[in-house]
This record gives sequence, structure tokens and C-alpha cells, in this order.
Amino acid sequence: MKIPEIGTYVISFLIILALIFLLPRLMPGDPLTAICGDEVLVEMTPALKAELMHRFALDAPLWKQFFVYLTAMMHGDFGYSYYYNAPVLEVIFEALPWTLLLVGSSLVLSTVVSIIIGIESGWRRGKISDKFMLTTTMILNGFPNFFIGIILLLLFAVYLGCLPLQGAKTPYSGLSGINSMLDIARHLVLPLIALTLAQIPSSYLLMRNTMITTLKEPFVRTAKAKGLSEVAVRYKHAGRNAMLPIVTTTGVRVGIVVTGALFIEIIFSYPGVGLLSYNALLMRDYPILQGVFFIVAVFVILANFVVDLLYTKIDPRIGVDNAEYAH
Amino acid sequence: MIELKDLEVRYGKRKVLQGINLTLKRGESLSIVGESGGGKTTLGLSIIGLVEGTVKGEILFDGKNLVALAEKELKAIRWNRIAMVFQNVENALNPLYTVLDQVSEPIVAHKLGDRKEATKRAGELLSMVDLPEGRFYAYPHQLSGGEKQRVLIAMALANDPDLIILDEPTTALDALTKVEIINLMHTVCNERELTILLLTHDFYAASTLSDKMAVLYAGRIVEFGPTPALLSNPRHPYTRGLLRCYPSMTTTKDLQGIKGRMEFFDDGCPFHPRCTQSLEKCREGAPRLEEYDGRLIACHRGGIIPLLELRDLSKSFDSLNAVDSIDITLYEGETLALVGESGSGKTTTAKLIMGIFEATEGRICLEGKQIHGRDKSFYQRVQMIFQNPMEAVSHRFSVREAVREPLDIQKQCDREQRESIVRHILEEVELPSSEAFMNKYPHQLSQGEAQRVSIARALVLNPKLLIADEPTSALDASTQAKVVKLLLNLQEERGIGMFFITHNLALARKISDRIAVMLRGHIVEEGPSNEIIRNPLHPYTKDLLKAAPTLNSNVPLVPKHTSKKKEGFGCPYANRCDKALEVCFNEKPQLRHFGSHRVACVHA
Repeated sequence: MKIPEIGTYVISFLIILALIFLLPRLMPGDPLTAICGDEVLVEMTPALKAELMHRFALDAPLWKQFFVYLTAMMHGDFGYSYYYNAPVLEVIFEALPWTLLLVGSSLVLSTVVSIIIGIESGWRRGKISDKFMLTTTMILNGFPNFFIGIILLLLFAVYLGCLPLQGAKTPYSGLSGINSMLDIARHLVLPLIALTLAQIPSSYLLMRNTMITTLKEPFVRTAKAKGLSEVAVRYKHAGRNAMLPIVTTTGVRVGIVVTGALFIEIIFSYPGVGLLSYNALLMRDYPILQGVFFIVAVFVILANFVVDLLYTKIDPRIGVDNAEYAH
Repeated sequence: MIELKDLEVRYGKRKVLQGINLTLKRGESLSIVGESGGGKTTLGLSIIGLVEGTVKGEILFDGKNLVALAEKELKAIRWNRIAMVFQNVENALNPLYTVLDQVSEPIVAHKLGDRKEATKRAGELLSMVDLPEGRFYAYPHQLSGGEKQRVLIAMALANDPDLIILDEPTTALDALTKVEIINLMHTVCNERELTILLLTHDFYAASTLSDKMAVLYAGRIVEFGPTPALLSNPRHPYTRGLLRCYPSMTTTKDLQGIKGRMEFFDDGCPFHPRCTQSLEKCREGAPRLEEYDGRLIACHRGGIIPLLELRDLSKSFDSLNAVDSIDITLYEGETLALVGESGSGKTTTAKLIMGIFEATEGRICLEGKQIHGRDKSFYQRVQMIFQNPMEAVSHRFSVREAVREPLDIQKQCDREQRESIVRHILEEVELPSSEAFMNKYPHQLSQGEAQRVSIARALVLNPKLLIADEPTSALDASTQAKVVKLLLNLQEERGIGMFFITHNLALARKISDRIAVMLRGHIVEEGPSNEIIRNPLHPYTKDLLKAAPTLNSNVPLVPKHTSKKKEGFGCPYANRCDKALEVCFNEKPQLRHFGSHRVACVHA
């Protein structure tokens, strides 16, 4: 990877830091109210209020606050959550694995499913099966992800009762080993499906579209003329080329999936970062919010970076070793 | 080996190919030429079973009808028996796999070897097409256009096919690469005794790679015959048009286009809207491919018609034979340059055609019919322009009157229509059609303008034959260039046959399809312009060529009278010819055929 490209990552990282710092300060209400409850406004004397503001350095100029914020962050200090009464990083790291599990598996699942149905649908363009898939996903696209979540919840957890209603694992069950993993998987099913279903339409449409354009490419005709099997033409030649845009957009989709996870986690009370930030938002727990935003941003940037690296592997046209053959 | 019977391909309601009948024997090579969009690629793809439209008719390959074959059987034939070299367009090769992979792929897919053997064989093929070994593992984007084309050729040979379809294999390549690729294909196809079907609009590739040629226009074959014959003497107007558009070192005439653009017709000759000799019947039924002297032509008029034929035409003034039994044919839409020194009888010939002189002997035929008397309808079809426009246009006529006069004489249309015709024709010869200009008199015009007025006057009746007697020799060079271009454009648009009289061989070369060299009433040499220029056979023509203007500042060798012998009944050039023999003085040499030439010389 070349230096300028790494530079863009650094720049976007710095912009994100500044935004994270500013955003909570632009929200209505003030942290003191959040910490001590609404009655504070009545009971707290202006002197006490000022004292507290001073102690939390909330009266210092903005640039000074930012500077302090940056230095602390460099020491791995993301602040202290008043609500959870614990260091921010500790709180976040407790929630993070669940989100990683949910977001990661949903990303993989939605990508794989979209690619496959996109290839098949594009190949059968205009036929009944294509139209069926297109219509289904368009309808699906009309529902917000939390709505899909609620429907799934009602259907499978409430009426059928075959899957757990909430949480990431059964509390105090004392399960271990394979049983514990199965329990986690059972809890994951509904949020995962809800989140994945919400992701599929846009990636499927992109995949189907690129498949249709790729099928018009001369090399597809070459492959057919060579007398190759249909599967080889569809997947090896057309499919692999049509996959490229989906891979490129994965980085962007990470952000979208994380946002989607926020709602899904709330509905399923899934103890991930989404639920955490929701609670933090209600409590105006700035340090937690900032920490969550920071971690999510870092992941999105990282994901983009990984995709960039990966892309050179799947598309030989992008990459550094071109110079070798240059004329 | 392969036979197409009544092949028809439709995309929806549009017939892209129809009535295609072709047979190709093992080891033969056939090129299909035509403009893009004419159905060449569709034809290739229909043979390999990949055309997306509906296919009717039969494609017999070794007796099996490919059209009716199941997909599975077709797959077994593809690449094993029939392979295709695609045009190296943007992505004929898959951008994600190395070229070695792609060449070996069909070997593995058709189970002709395992992966290892296939890779070895693919490597051999790539070496055979001269791809450097270092490039075997390159991806297509890392190769140059020529290298990609080589890979495509190697790929087509992977499964040792019998029939190879070459689809525009040279189009995107630069000149030297093109020659290399053509050579490569030539060697490879000869070595392996492949049957070739070449689809191209490149006549160069077609001339080197094929024995037979079929010209495809708007989904129909319009001309079919041996490649050299088609190239040197195209008989269908479309073939001629294509050749006129193709810049090559063999043609000397300026490039001309084909008017209009391609459209598909179910009824009528597909070429009729662009054809300059089309009749009412051309619009109705589609012409069938019929044989005319060793050639198949689909044309209601039997190919390009002879517009003017002079047969044994003679004119003598007392004892002087001004024109001595000349024999010339001018085809529709072509220019015949009659070249020779002053006093050779050129103008007399023109006057004979126009009926100013009465021929002593012989006959003149216009569109196949002998001319007896010349009435108004004759002058509607034949018009003349003269050397000195100032004298040719009556100085008492304004521009409007001069141009309108032929219409007045022919009593065509009413006054208003005549006026609009005059304006239109003035614009066509690139003159202003303003009131002020039309009221001008010849002496108020420049030389160039005056000649345009006289051209406008000649063309106002829409003649088929234009006799131009030194129409540009009185003009300065820049005006001459403009007038010549105008005449060529008018020829392209209207298909005018031009009988162009000039003493300037350099000019004749740029404007004519055929040149006839005239000397003292005789045609001494006649043939296609490029042949006459490249390979003159008569000493007189050679001398004329030496005397033709060049810009290389060498003092030309002027032919001298080499003999003091009395001029007799012999060759008209005998006493100036340095090779003259005794026989040249006594016996008149006959015009004899040499290839596409006719020469009257004992030495030829």
C-alpha cells in the first residue's frame, strides 16, 4: 500500500476525532442534568453548579477541552462513565464482542447471500425466478430493519416460542463448552436474520446490476464460445468480475450495518455497543458515547483499509506489481 | 465442411441476416466483408451457436445441422471443432485470470488433458504465437494490443479446431503489429490446414487471408467471388463504394464515401436508398444472388451498369483520322479520364458523344441503348462542361438565366419551381443563392465561380453522364482543387459518370477510376487508374508519367523524336519511341488484354 493512501486514512481519522469531540457538546441539555437527574436544576445552587462545572472542566475553552481529550486518549484514557461508574473502555469492551459477533456475521452472511442470489438473478434476467427475487427484495427493502426485527421477535419468540426473546445468552445457566456456544448461537439467530435481511436488498440490487452489465462483456462471450460449462461461465467468468463492486462497497456497508445493529440490539436487548450507546444517549453519558463513536469509527476505517488490501488480491488490475510488466 | 442454407437471424422483428447461402470446403478460406452493423459478427456467432436472436435455416457442419443441435452437443463442438478468434476489444479476455490460465482453460474443460498437460500445451501455443515466456503469467491488462491478439489466436488453437472464425482480428492494431498478426495467422492456418471464415471490414486482411470473398450488406450477401477479382473489379455498387472508402497504397483516386447510412429492409434491395443507379423495381423485390460472368451479384441491374459505351468509334476529317476506332466503356458513378496530348482526338471524342460531330463509323450506347438521334431527353441525361467557363456561359445571361436555361428549354416545372431548383443547385455547387449573386453577369464572377456556374448549369437537369473537357486547366491550382473536390462529391451523391478529358496525368490519377491514354486518335493503353500509374506498359504512357509533375526537383527526361522515319500506318508512337522496331512502323498494334490492362504495343 502506498504512502498517500495511508495519509488519507490518517486524515479521516483526525476529522472523526474532532467530530466525536464536538458532537455531544452540540446536543441539547447539559451533562450535569444527566448525571444528577432533573431535580438538580431546582435543588442545586448556582455556586455548586459552577463548582461541579469547574471540576469536570466543562467551563474551560473548547480548544483546551479538545487538547485534554486528545492527551488522555493517547494514554488510553477514554474517561469515566458516571452512570456505569466504571472506566469507559472497560464498559465498551464488555459490549464490543457481542456487536462484533452480530455485525461481523451479518456482514459476511448478507454479502454471501447477496452475491449468490445476485448472480443467479442477473443470469436469469427477465425470467420468473428473477422477477420473484426482485419483487421480494423490493418489498423487503420497504421495511425498516427494526420493523423486520419486531415481526421476527413476535413470530418466533412470542408466538412460536422456539427462539429466545432477548439477550445474548441465557443468564445464570452455568453452561459451558459446546452447549454455551449453542446457546449463544440460538440467541444470535433472530437479531442476525433481522440485521441481514435489512442489508440484503441494496447489495443484491448492486450485484444483480453488475452481473447484468458483466454478462454483456466480450469475455463472457469468449467463455461461452470456448464451450465451457454454464456454471463456469456464470461463476468463474461473469460472477467473479461482477463481485468487484460489492467488495469495494463493503467498507461503506460496515458503517451501515453498525448503525443497523444499534436498532436491532435495542429491540432484542442484545448487550452490544448499540444498546450501550442507546442507554448512554438517554443518560447523556458523554464519555461513553464518545468512546463508542470512536471505536465504531476506528472499525469502519479499519474495515475500509482491509478491503483496500483485499481488493488488490481479487482484482489484478489494481495493485503495485503492474510496474513489473509495464512497457 | 460447412454449409449455410437460407440462414436467417432475427432480433425481435428485425432481420439481421437473411437468405444467406454459403459453402466452405475443408481448407478453404472465405472472408465476409462489410460495414460494421451489417451482420458479420452475427453470422460468426450463429455458426458457433451463440447468437441471441432467432435462427432459421440450416447450418450444416459435417452434415450435422447446428441450428437444431442440443446445447450439450453444441458445447462439444465449440472450440473442439469450431473456434473463434475474437477481436481484441476492451475485454475479450477475462481481466481476472492470467493468459496462460485462459488458454489452458478449454483444454481442461473439454477433458483433453489434466491441468498440468493443459498448462504445458498452452505454454507451447503461446510460444508459437511469439508471446515472450515472461508474459505467460501476465494478466490481460498488462499486455499490449498485439500481444492480446496473439493470446486470442493461441486460445483459439488450444483444442485443435477444424474451422476457425476470425472476427475482425486486425482492426484495433497498428500497422506493423497488423502485418505481424496477419503473417502469423497466415502461417498458422496454412500449417494446420485450417478452414477459415474471416469477418472483417479490413480489405487488407481479407486480401491476404482469403481466397473467396462475400460482401455483406444489411444482412444480405450482395456480391460473392474470388477475392482478387472482387478487389480489382468490384461489380456491385456497394463493393465499389467500400473499396473507394478504403485507403490503400494501391488506389490512387481520392477517398469517396457512400452516401446515406445503412438501414435494414425486408423488401427491396437493402442498398437501394444509398445506390446511385437504383430504379423503382429496386425498392420492391429483394434481388437474388445471381451469376454474372463468374461472380455472384445480388442486384436488379446486374451490378454496376455500363453508362457509356463507345464501340469502334471513328471520325475522319478528309484524310485525317481524328478518332480511329476507339472502344471505351464508362461505368455508372465512375470517372474515366481520357488522357493525351493536344491534338490526340480527345475533344473530338467528346464532341462525337455530344452529337456535335457525326461519327464516321461505330456506335455510341448510353445505358445499354444505342444512340441514334439526340433529342431533348438525351441532353437531359448527358451534359458537358468546358475548359473556359467565361466563354462557355453566355455573357448576356445573368447567373440565374444561365443556370435556368436548360430547364426552360426542357420546359420542366413551373416558374417558381425552376427558381427553387436553381437556388438549390447553386448551393450544391457551393455558390451563394442570394438575389444579388443570381443577378450577376459572367464578367463579374471569378474564374472559379464561373466554372461552378457552368457546372451548376450542367447539373441542373440531373444528368447521369457529365463530359468534362479540361474543366480545370484554365483555373489556378487552389480553384482547381475545389472544383475537383466538388465534382467528386457530386459523383458520390448522384452517381454521375464522368468522362474527364485532361492532359494532366497527375490530376487524372486523383479523380479517375480508369484511365484511357489517347494518341493520335488511338487508345494506346487503358485500365484501372492505379494499374496505369503503377505499372504503365505503353512507352507513351511511361513518358507521360515521366513528364507528370513531381516535387522532387529532378529535371525530367523529355522524350525526343528518335527516328526520322516517315510516319506510316504503324504505331502512332513509333517515331518517338526509343524501342521502336521495324514492325512498329508498318503494322498498327492491336489493343490486347494484360490482366486488367489493355495495351496496344508490340513490346507489352
